[in-house]
Amino acid sequence: MSDVVILGVGIHPFGRFDKSAEEIGADAAQQALDDAGVKWSDIDSAYLSRMYLPATSGARILRRLGGTDIPIVDVEAACASGGAALRQALLAIRSGESEMVLVLGCEKMPRGFMDPSMIYAPWQVQMGMSLNPSYWSMRARRHMYDHGTTEEQIALVAHKNHRNSVSNPNAMYRKEFTLEQIMNSPLVCDPIRLLEICAPNDGAAAVVVTTAERARKIGGRPVRIAACVHSIARYSADFRCPADSMSATIDNPGPTEVTAKKAYERAGMGPGDIDCFEVQDTDAFCEIEIYEDIGLCPRGEGGRFAAEGHTQITGLHPVNMSGGLISKGEPVGASHLGQVVEVVAQLRGTAGPRQVADAKTGMAHVLGAGGNCAVTILERVQVHA
Amino acid sequence: MSTATDRPLTPIRKGLISEPIDSPEAFRLLGSKCGACGELSIGTNAVCLNCGGSDLSSVRLSPEGILWTFTIVRHAPPGDYRGPKPFVPFGLGLIELPDGVRIMAPLDGDIETFRIGARMRLNLNVLDADSPAPLAAFSFSMIG
Repeated sequence: MSDVVILGVGIHPFGRFDKSAEEIGADAAQQALDDAGVKWSDIDSAYLSRMYLPATSGARILRRLGGTDIPIVDVEAACASGGAALRQALLAIRSGESEMVLVLGCEKMPRGFMDPSMIYAPWQVQMGMSLNPSYWSMRARRHMYDHGTTEEQIALVAHKNHRNSVSNPNAMYRKEFTLEQIMNSPLVCDPIRLLEICAPNDGAAAVVVTTAERARKIGGRPVRIAACVHSIARYSADFRCPADSMSATIDNPGPTEVTAKKAYERAGMGPGDIDCFEVQDTDAFCEIEIYEDIGLCPRGEGGRFAAEGHTQITGLHPVNMSGGLISKGEPVGASHLGQVVEVVAQLRGTAGPRQVADAKTGMAHVLGAGGNCAVTILERVQVHA
Repeated sequence: MSTATDRPLTPIRKGLISEPIDSPEAFRLLGSKCGACGELSIGTNAVCLNCGGSDLSSVRLSPEGILWTFTIVRHAPPGDYRGPKPFVPFGLGLIELPDGVRIMAPLDGDIETFRIGARMRLNLNVLDADSPAPLAAFSFSMIG
């Protein structure tokens, strides 16, 4: 099977802007085309990853780049939308139907808790079971009970991510907080606090995907897609479906564990072969559980692993060099492609103060409603003179 | 929580609450047990959520269980929340029933007192008690 590569990336900062989705989306898309060294007319098909934007948003946004008759399809898989859309590009290229594909993630979201009518049944909303962080918090509470994970270990993850974001011009909050400030920030849903959760916001990120052969002809700095896997949670395997009940007798592996395992197999790599990670820190505890699910540390030891500094930029397994969703915010449709933009920068060696030394491989991971999970593994391409 | 109303109650989710909803003491939640894989899901379902089998039988779920995990909801939930106004912080938890299912439910009682492992009991919780069409919902509280 021929290699598929990311040839160009673009990002509009994540935050809150007095700009339309069309403006921020077209900006990220044009940057990706420029970075790839190609024109809009070179693109054979395009996908928009989005959850909140209305029907036909892909066509509305990308028409701003010029007239076209190519297929433009909107893709939605909750927080994993970007992975699902990138996977469509991979499939389109592998099928031979397309040779050059643009994948754009774009979102504009209101402040505050996400609209519950999208993912909860009316009775769950009426009874007050429609606050997303309450599910993450219940998971954290049980992990603390089972494994002795502490509130300080959870806060240390938020501390790391906020600090990493200071040098990321695409993050919404670029402020370092002390551990004390984080641990004294208001509780949202016990034990998770305000400075430990991500906020919905606006943002856009885009990639140009093509074959390795075409990339060689064009030149530039391609990055190989070693794996791009999307799956949903198995029966009773994830709280954040959001579940109204869970089985007490069947203990299926969670969606991150399942998806990462498939991605490692496709890539022919294991956790020890990946030099840097961008993962779904919807809340700081979530990142701790992901360390365990993607195999960075044994089950139950994620809190200690974080506290020992292994996931700092200078650690053995750097995680969320960009500052993560906690500091970037989560424009749902754009979040995974934003992670991919960061990993590509790391593999190209252009991440500045956030650079992981000599990063050759990287993973991007998202997880959300419906138990939707996507994992993309990228690898630096050796350029032969 | 509130149970006082003389108007007929409508179950908050069809097939989840045993009818008639005659008294708080007889109040039960319903589940569906799969004849093929044995899994139990809450509510009255036509297909097993685990194996896809259609040999399901309706069961009345145990009114008592153990608190498996919980949180405190400290901000008013978004959307059509029917709880007290103004908003009052409340517990939300997963209660493990001996039937083999953990059920998500609001928790009655002092938010400072919940602990994993506590024995819990099902309550009828009437929402919109003053409206023409009050809803029969449910909650759990600690025993003792």
